[in-house]
Amino acid sequence: MKRTNVVAAFTASVVVAAGLTGCSSGGGDGSDGPVTITIMETKQTNIDAIGKEIPGFEAEMAEQGKDIKVELIADVLTDEQFMTKMTQQLIAGQAPDVLDIGENMAISWSSAGYLAPLDDYLNEWDGWSHYYPAVKEAMTRQDGQVYSLPSGAGVLNLFYRKDILTELGVDTTQPETWDDLIARLVEVKEKTGDTPIVIPAGTAWGGGTWGEGFMPLLGGTDTEFYDTETDTWDLESPGWLAVFELYDDLVSNGLMPVEDLQNPNPWEPTKYEKFPEGEIQVAAQGTWGWKFDWGPDGATPIEGLEEKVSTWQFPGLRSGDEPYGWSSTGGGYAISEDSEKKEAAWEFIKYLSTGEPLAEQLVASGAASARDDLDDVAPYSEEPQLLQAGKDLGESVFVVTGDGAAQIGQAVASATELILSGEADGQQAYDAFVKDATDLLGPTLVKE
Amino acid sequence: MTSLVDVPASAQTATRPSAPRRRRGQTLPFVLLLLGPSAVLILVFIVLPAVYGLWLSLTNTQLTGFAARDPKFVGLDNYTYLLTSADFLNSLGQTGTFLLFSAIIGQTVLGMVAAILLSRPWIRGKGFFGAAVLMPMVVPEVVASLTWASVLATSPEGTLNRVTNAFGGEPTAWLQTAPMLAIILVNIWRGLAFAMIMFQAALEDVPAELIEAARVDGARAVQVFRHVTLPLIRGPVFLYLLLTTISTVGVFGLVYFLTRGGPGGQTRIAAIYIYERALQFSQVGIGSAASIILLVIVLVLGAVYVRLAKVEV
Repeated sequence: MKRTNVVAAFTASVVVAAGLTGCSSGGGDGSDGPVTITIMETKQTNIDAIGKEIPGFEAEMAEQGKDIKVELIADVLTDEQFMTKMTQQLIAGQAPDVLDIGENMAISWSSAGYLAPLDDYLNEWDGWSHYYPAVKEAMTRQDGQVYSLPSGAGVLNLFYRKDILTELGVDTTQPETWDDLIARLVEVKEKTGDTPIVIPAGTAWGGGTWGEGFMPLLGGTDTEFYDTETDTWDLESPGWLAVFELYDDLVSNGLMPVEDLQNPNPWEPTKYEKFPEGEIQVAAQGTWGWKFDWGPDGATPIEGLEEKVSTWQFPGLRSGDEPYGWSSTGGGYAISEDSEKKEAAWEFIKYLSTGEPLAEQLVASGAASARDDLDDVAPYSEEPQLLQAGKDLGESVFVVTGDGAAQIGQAVASATELILSGEADGQQAYDAFVKDATDLLGPTLVKE
Repeated sequence: MTSLVDVPASAQTATRPSAPRRRRGQTLPFVLLLLGPSAVLILVFIVLPAVYGLWLSLTNTQLTGFAARDPKFVGLDNYTYLLTSADFLNSLGQTGTFLLFSAIIGQTVLGMVAAILLSRPWIRGKGFFGAAVLMPMVVPEVVASLTWASVLATSPEGTLNRVTNAFGGEPTAWLQTAPMLAIILVNIWRGLAFAMIMFQAALEDVPAELIEAARVDGARAVQVFRHVTLPLIRGPVFLYLLLTTISTVGVFGLVYFLTRGGPGGQTRIAAIYIYERALQFSQVGIGSAASIILLVIVLVLGAVYVRLAKVEV
């Protein structure tokens, strides 16, 4: 063989060998050795809370003769960023073994086949019988299977600055209707010049516009917008227009901070700056506001939170509607379908969802328990707001939806953006929403 | 075993490769060795993804939901949908505005002015001026975006609002009141340096005697530039236009971090539209078709530039 050919062959061999070595790296979890599972968390509060539980889990597994290690992947992201990133990883089969996900993600990923069904594990676990029936119903997806176990539950209400409203002489009793509340907000605006209420709206808020703003308002006045028999969205259900008109009322009366809502990360100037400073007096917010947002270790602590802040239920929107809280229970811990360590992953989820580890996480993130046997477990037992939220869960409203929730969320975000920018009134925004949603959902997911 | 000795001399001559062919045969492995890795990388990371993208654009592939399980071939449906979609056509219009004012007019004209100024012998502080223009080019895109987000912030603490406040102005939400103008200015700021470098190099190649001759003939500075300098640097100018068109149409991070396409879709350029469709709405089929349409538009523009400049690329 000539020298040049030898050099070429040698180089090619080295390149191929290096490539194959690269492809084969990343192993090390043979069946006889220790098993390492991965979990990803994207909120600092959850990163801290899960990190704290890992040593206890590994020790408990060691006592049972199982050598299971947990690697926490800490990556602070918004929900939107997380969903975009994780969707790619799930498709590529590179996702962490355990995922901590929201409701929209659970719906979108389970229907696509990216998550492992948990039914077999749940049926053999006595802890499952302690979950509230309403929670179990909310977790059950269209195919009748459960893909995620709630890490906590919450009730969305209107949080208001009791101290500011009292000082201004504005009524702080539960408003029965939105007309009643809007009259009070107008009074606040006249006295302070502020934009007194923030409800997630527009495209910049991402999935929160649907999950933490529009959907709670819609579900309180109209539970027929999703047809569980045909698994389709009824875009002509009357609640849609009523909610768009409510947004229009709030914006046209100058009650919403429209500029803040159109900026990237709109929760920062609104929930993290103006509400703590008392320049926004009312905010649509879940139970986690007590800890995650405004608690002593939260994003922007409010000193004397319990004295300064209180909650109203959402007022009735249409004639005959009663005030209500909106329960949030649809997300939780899930296992990637491509995970090769599902048993170990389930052991970790089970540990996180039981007793003191669960109580500690709930307190850290400000969530209510989705189980009926946690009220006496410290430190959860020492948190009156969370205990109350747990009790409220049973009376709260929730509408189970299915495939297409993410697309509906996008269409709602775009349509409410039109209201924020003054390009559409309620009816025009609704018309734009129907067009967009029909387009995004496709014919099979829209009710005839 | 056959020995060469047994072969007649005439036959040996006939079968022996000529000198150039032998050299070609000897160098082929080296050529393959040198070009092979690049060719493989281009094939794997550019050609195959492009072909796959073309295939995806002909399907209804989605990333999430039940539709993700069973993508189907839909022919040209995605293209028909996009070319009749007001949103997509609007995003192409936004892209055109962004390209025209930030790259073709802004960067090119200002880059040329900066290059001409720096080529003047009487200019003082060239080093400082050149460094100041170059600095935006070395700042990472995300850092540049976040810096400008701070400059244009709505609050009274925003840098620009502080400046206007010094003259008695009220705080302004710049990214709401003039979002397209804002991203155009930021893109000019960022791309100016590259234009300046290219034009400076081109201007240095213009023979000084031609300029001198024109001046002796009584041409004014503008006439010299219009009739002597510009025709001589036409190649580099159109090459720059080609490069800046490609890079500006592909701008994503700068706009995403500043406005995310808002408010109300006023800055939803094509790159943002594609990102939203493919990754946020999970409609990869439609996102791929939009990318292919954009690619075709850029190719057409590129062909026009090359033809105008007669540049060999």
